[in-house]
Amino acid sequence: MSAPTLSRPASLDGLDGAGTPLAGGTDLVPLLRDGLVRAEELVDVRPLLPRGIEDGVRIGAGTTLAELERSAEVPAALAEACRLAASPQLRHMGTIGGNLLQATRCWYWRLGVPCYLHGGNRCHAREGEHREHAIFATEPCASAHPSDPAAALLALGAVLETTSRRLPLAELYRLPTDDDRRVTTLAPGELILRLELERPDASVYLKAMDRQRFGFPLVGAAAARLGGETRLALAGVAPIPWRLGSPADLDAATPLPGTAYKVELARALVRRALAAVAP
Amino acid sequence: MPELVVNGGRFAVAGSTLKTLAETLRGDLGLTGTKVACGEGHCGACTVLLDGEPALSCITLVHAVGEREVTTIEGLRDHPLVEAFVRADALQCGFCTPGQIVSAAALVGETPAPSREEIRHGMAGNLCRCGTYPRIEEAIASWRG
Amino acid sequence: MARLIRTEKEVEGRYTEQWVVVEEDPLDRWPAGPLDVVGRPAARVDGLRRARGTARYTADVALPGMLHAAVLRSPHASARLRRLELAPALAAPGVRAAIGPADCDVFSEEAGYQGAPVAAVAAESFGQARAALALVEVEWEVGEPLLDPDEAVRRGQLIDEPDRYERGDVERGLAAADVVVEAEYRTATVLHNALETHQAVCAWEGDELTVHISTQWIWGVRKDVAKRLGLAPDKVRVVCEYMGGGFGAKNDPGDHTFVAAELARRTGRPVRCALTRREENLASGNRHATIQRLRAGARADGTLTALEGEFVMAVGWDGFVSSTAGPMKMLYACENVRTVELGAKLNTGPNDAFRAPGFVEGTFGLECLLDELAAKLDLDPLELRRRNGADADPVDGRPFSAKNLGECYRRAEPHWARRAEVRARSEGPWRRGVGLASQIWYGGGGPPSYAFVRVGSEGDATVLTAMQDIGTGTRTAMAQIAAEELGLPLERVSVSLGDSARGPYAAISAGSSTTPSMGPAVRAAAADAARQIIEIAAQRFESEERVLSLRGGRIVSEDGGAWTLEEVTGLLGDGQILGRGSRGPNPTGMRVLTFGVQVAEVAVDVETGEVRVERIAAIHDVGRVINPLGAASQVEGGIIQGIGHTLSEQRLLDPASGEALTLTLDAYKLPTIADVPEIVTELLDVPDEHLTSLGSKGLGEPPIIPTAAAIANAIRDATGADVRSLPITREEMLRALEEARERAYAL
Repeated sequence: MSAPTLSRPASLDGLDGAGTPLAGGTDLVPLLRDGLVRAEELVDVRPLLPRGIEDGVRIGAGTTLAELERSAEVPAALAEACRLAASPQLRHMGTIGGNLLQATRCWYWRLGVPCYLHGGNRCHAREGEHREHAIFATEPCASAHPSDPAAALLALGAVLETTSRRLPLAELYRLPTDDDRRVTTLAPGELILRLELERPDASVYLKAMDRQRFGFPLVGAAAARLGGETRLALAGVAPIPWRLGSPADLDAATPLPGTAYKVELARALVRRALAAVAP
Repeated sequence: MPELVVNGGRFAVAGSTLKTLAETLRGDLGLTGTKVACGEGHCGACTVLLDGEPALSCITLVHAVGEREVTTIEGLRDHPLVEAFVRADALQCGFCTPGQIVSAAALVGETPAPSREEIRHGMAGNLCRCGTYPRIEEAIASWRG
Repeated sequence: MARLIRTEKEVEGRYTEQWVVVEEDPLDRWPAGPLDVVGRPAARVDGLRRARGTARYTADVALPGMLHAAVLRSPHASARLRRLELAPALAAPGVRAAIGPADCDVFSEEAGYQGAPVAAVAAESFGQARAALALVEVEWEVGEPLLDPDEAVRRGQLIDEPDRYERGDVERGLAAADVVVEAEYRTATVLHNALETHQAVCAWEGDELTVHISTQWIWGVRKDVAKRLGLAPDKVRVVCEYMGGGFGAKNDPGDHTFVAAELARRTGRPVRCALTRREENLASGNRHATIQRLRAGARADGTLTALEGEFVMAVGWDGFVSSTAGPMKMLYACENVRTVELGAKLNTGPNDAFRAPGFVEGTFGLECLLDELAAKLDLDPLELRRRNGADADPVDGRPFSAKNLGECYRRAEPHWARRAEVRARSEGPWRRGVGLASQIWYGGGGPPSYAFVRVGSEGDATVLTAMQDIGTGTRTAMAQIAAEELGLPLERVSVSLGDSARGPYAAISAGSSTTPSMGPAVRAAAADAARQIIEIAAQRFESEERVLSLRGGRIVSEDGGAWTLEEVTGLLGDGQILGRGSRGPNPTGMRVLTFGVQVAEVAVDVETGEVRVERIAAIHDVGRVINPLGAASQVEGGIIQGIGHTLSEQRLLDPASGEALTLTLDAYKLPTIADVPEIVTELLDVPDEHLTSLGSKGLGEPPIIPTAAAIANAIRDATGADVRSLPITREEMLRALEEARERAYAL
């Protein structure tokens, strides 16, 4: 493996899509060093990304999780999802844009097993050890998406502005298919620049993890109430952040033997989240 | 050749683009107070400050540090937290301790009088296998002596 | 005078009988309780160095011209090497040597576990060495791994013969019982994860080898390396000045030392061989999983009539069968006990000692079973334990050198009495409860061990001994002991340790033995130096030796005079006073053990299965306490590791391939600061009158032993659910709650 080049352009204008953008690097750098992501050219976009919070609902993609955690303006669900994510160091390093794009923690995938998500023909977790894995869309890949903020932002109806388009956050994600194993719809070189949320009347993020801090979500549950509508989303339950139409949707979960407990966990968290945002 | 600002000094940076800040500090600059215990961002032993904010030097590419000033434990040797850690016996084997102190310095930089809850939240990224956590909490709660 | 004795040597509960040359320990015992320095809290003498990052660990050793090794390991749990071609790696940039099974006996063509070492390269940088490994051409014939310990037992694939123990008549005991309880307990494989990984730097000068190594036993490494490399022991120098944690996994040189030594020999350059975190979690030892099928019978008044246990241990491809039946044999005065320990040989990484191996696991099973028994008997769990206390070792009837478990129970009462108040604080889904568990363990240490004390004309003292401080604070404890004996303030005593070339033989730092083994030797050396100072003073001041003593940096006469120490030592000029001391024997015919009890308070969210440990009171009897500050830290550290084992830590394997999945510290979940409860430590601090001139026992292991059972018993108290499998993850807690609900419906 030869090392990539690293460029530090003066502006985002010249990006041609050839390079792999590097911002906080908290996920990308380990993946590069493990050879799970290959890049010929790294582009250091960290100093160039829009950064900051306007009115609590317009957020630069380069804003760190630590900044969002401390913000009194952003909706509670987002601040809390950031507060309960990762560790203080990772929250100071990691950007919200990068957080939405982080890869699964599936141990098979992380250890480089030639699994479905890596382009192989089967999901090793389904037959193997999968206590941290999915309860929805468990076929053909049972990985779980680890982002806490993504679930919060789904519930908050976030819209993304990228270098080439505007799209609802839900459209950033796709389930892997036989002919395309990616879990996002981002084009090569396309960068998330900003996020815009709806301002909820109330919102909350609740998280279950294996220790009190510094753990990926076994289940994270976000709820946001806007007028008469309450939106729900879950982290850690599917290969991508998961919108839940209603608590009853949990009846349609298709857990693996080792993830059945997550359905019970999700029911409890969703019930509590709904109670917390109820008028 | 790109430069790195560490504890107020400027150093030339050499090596592969995938070289980490921790490798540079320990291997090239001899600043071995920064420890590497997991090498992939999961334990906090390698914590340094970048412009005062805590960062994991084992997953920070040295060439992407740019103009941000790096502060290592060597740059904090006279920080009152060092004495506070020793006084509270907030270390056993000591391998995680420099990283703990750097994280604590970042914490009290943002929140000079952190509550117990803020200490537990702000220090959760630094693992201590010897289990000196109660004393770390005590050291930070009493860091001003 | 030197004396040759036949004695039992004990390390972590494993006894061997051997000849030992010992010297009597003629010193009077110090009075109980805090003295001038000993028994008083002392900050670590090396604290500033460690905190400032200037302490040099093996990880920081960078010798001129040093090469870096990387080890090729089997990716399969069971495989045979079909072909190995090192030449492409040897030709890679920066590579200076490559070795395989033909070159070094740590490598094998048969891999019995994932991570078994196969070959290694040395290169100018670690990155180059790692890159070269990828070029090694290797073909494997992959076999079917055996991973199920019960299946291994069925097939008779065992490490060692089954260890059977029986006293009395268990059938008769069960027949005499009014109540019998039976349950199966399981504990997971857990990983040490010292933050400094296993590593060594080896450098040859002619036929002399220097080994810098992160180790718990400098002299054990010296002996093993010399033996295996065919060197005279004095040709091997072992250095470990600062050490980043071991917890039992660093008692021997390990494969990495021999890899480094061989590569260093071939290249003529120093070679570092350091495990990565992933290698550490793959192939550097573990606490093996257990399955415990237990039965207990008791009369209505709580008297135990029978204890029976089958213990199946998932030892791995190699290693040792830890004494999981120990607590069942030793803790209670039950007449009828039968146990069998079966060590399953599996295609998993070899186990290694891990902080009270066997007793942590066995105490979880036994002490949970006792609570299930107490519930059936409708007896207070503390009272049940009291009624079955043993006055002598139940195994062989030997008297205890000291046993104050009853006093520990008495001191536990106020914590135990919080039950009603704690339960009453249950609200909503959060149920609260209290549980306790007892602790029994070794920790007496033993001979041989030696120390020198050097006093120069300035009147300061240096303790010289080639021991190691693995982070437990023994440097500080030894300085305190010498300071006490010499009547010096602590800051006038320094300790030189960590180098076999700079001091005499010192004991292993394992089995809670460092302080009880080394402390008396250091005290004897200091006393020898003090005696010489007094001899000189008596001559200088024309006084009698018997009226002189050393206190507060002065020589004090009962007749009224007092002189500063420098007034005597100043006479030395370049001369030095050299004191020497050694560790005397353990008391003959007695059982030297440590005891304690922990009381845990927990909160359980019965809807999400979240368990929070809110408070643990730890009451232990380890004899005299040298440094209450460091001792409390040891207790806290043991409990926090125990909480990890109880709630979040487990090594997971792919059930088909046996490949380990939890190699990184995101997947393998150690406790963080946010997981720590309030911890209340109470040490009895009563010197063991039969054990050495100090009366001190070790404290490294006792505090981790009862934690899991105390937590599980508190969970039962809070929720009625029986958690019988560690770790108590969300799914295990929710499963146990569901089971308890079903049991309630059925009634």
